[in-house]
Amino acid sequence: MFLREIINWISFQLHILKNILIFLAPAIPMTIKLTLVAFALALILGLLIGLARLSQRGLIKALSKIYVDVLRGIPLLVQIFFIYFGLGKILNLDRFLAGVIAIAVCYSAYLAEIIRAGIQAIHKGQYQAALSLGMTPYQTMRYVILPQSLRIIVPPVANEFIASLKDSSLVSIIGLRELTRAGREYYSQYFVDFQTWLVVGIIYLVMTLSLSRLVAHLEKKYKVHGYGIPH
Amino acid sequence: MIIQTKEISKRFGEIIALDAVNFEIEAGEVVVIIGPSGSGKSTLLRCLNGLEKTDSGEIVIDGIKLDKDKSSIHKVREELGMVFQEFNLFPHLSVLGNLCLAQEAVRKRSKPDSEKISLELLKKVGLLDKKNSFPNQLSGGQQQRVAIARALAMNPRIMLFDEPTSALDPEMIGEVLEVMKNLAKEGMTMLVVTHEIGFAREVAKRIIFMDQGKIIEEGKTEDILNSPQNPRTIAFLSKVLK
Repeated sequence: MFLREIINWISFQLHILKNILIFLAPAIPMTIKLTLVAFALALILGLLIGLARLSQRGLIKALSKIYVDVLRGIPLLVQIFFIYFGLGKILNLDRFLAGVIAIAVCYSAYLAEIIRAGIQAIHKGQYQAALSLGMTPYQTMRYVILPQSLRIIVPPVANEFIASLKDSSLVSIIGLRELTRAGREYYSQYFVDFQTWLVVGIIYLVMTLSLSRLVAHLEKKYKVHGYGIPH
Repeated sequence: MIIQTKEISKRFGEIIALDAVNFEIEAGEVVVIIGPSGSGKSTLLRCLNGLEKTDSGEIVIDGIKLDKDKSSIHKVREELGMVFQEFNLFPHLSVLGNLCLAQEAVRKRSKPDSEKISLELLKKVGLLDKKNSFPNQLSGGQQQRVAIARALAMNPRIMLFDEPTSALDPEMIGEVLEVMKNLAKEGMTMLVVTHEIGFAREVAKRIIFMDQGKIIEEGKTEDILNSPQNPRTIAFLSKVLK
């Protein structure tokens, strides 16, 4: 009798969870797309700003410093509001584009600092050796410095990637129908709070754990001989 | 004259690293620069291939005047090979990768061509069996021999050595000097900053003694080593030869 009630309860709960999952599933690709596009842009911007921070030219150096200081000093949520409601009105940005720009610009500031630190960690003898072989500054950066910096850069960049996936949920506030927005819609229709946010949380967790696996693989790939704790 | 400097000077803040240095080197000559640390020897080498910019004076290498524009620095670096005290091999590349990188990027050689040249040079420095090793798997002496081969792979007309044995354990100095002696015998123009007086005595045609950014004395190897004239040269040699 009692056992039967438990079984009924469980099957009812599973039914709700399944319904939530079916409701949320179509919104998952938007979260992935938003994160991938925004982070790819952030990486390109971050590399350029990071290199600009190391420039010999005073103006470029100063401007890139201001860029980093300003963008990492303002909450992402405020940046999203500013870009969507402020710039968006002028430039006619849709929700997706506004979200992409806000995340890309905000994260490029963090990435620029990581990339700068990674480049600065390489011994100056490496530049001197490459330049003395006749390599151009670009070739030196491309073939000698950056490949060694990757070893240092990959783990913190991965952190930012995972953080940006989670922060993409903030874009729900301007009405882009990604995972978190879909969760809110489900809740406001059926008033099931515990289960809804449990499922949303688990979906985010599955995505971030998959990324962690990918990162472990990249770290192995960019390992440089002779560094790390000896075994 | 393959290398000619006129009145070159260089300051680092308050410190005068080079003070109106004049010297000339003929093609095929082996010249050793000696002097106490901080005397400007390394700075001089770095100025020759544009790793440091001189404040004033003129450098002409193989007919190319080294000025501010990048193309002249680039041309000059193609003529000059440089070997560093700290080897500066690229740790993310294998020995073969270290030798091939600049050949392909700068000399625009094909991969098979650059590998062929690299293997010949590794054979010459006695490290053919290490072609797939990574720098951290080699001893200091082996790393420095790879660094010499890497510089030679660019077919330089002149080789600059900046204290090539100073970071080595004593038992490894010999193998590096051996490679350098063979290079001298082949007629390579070499400018060597070193404390290895034995090497200078055996290989160098001339010795330049520097102190406090100036050339204090220069002359034929046997003259400088056997009968130095300047008191500072005498004092330095008496310490080194002890």
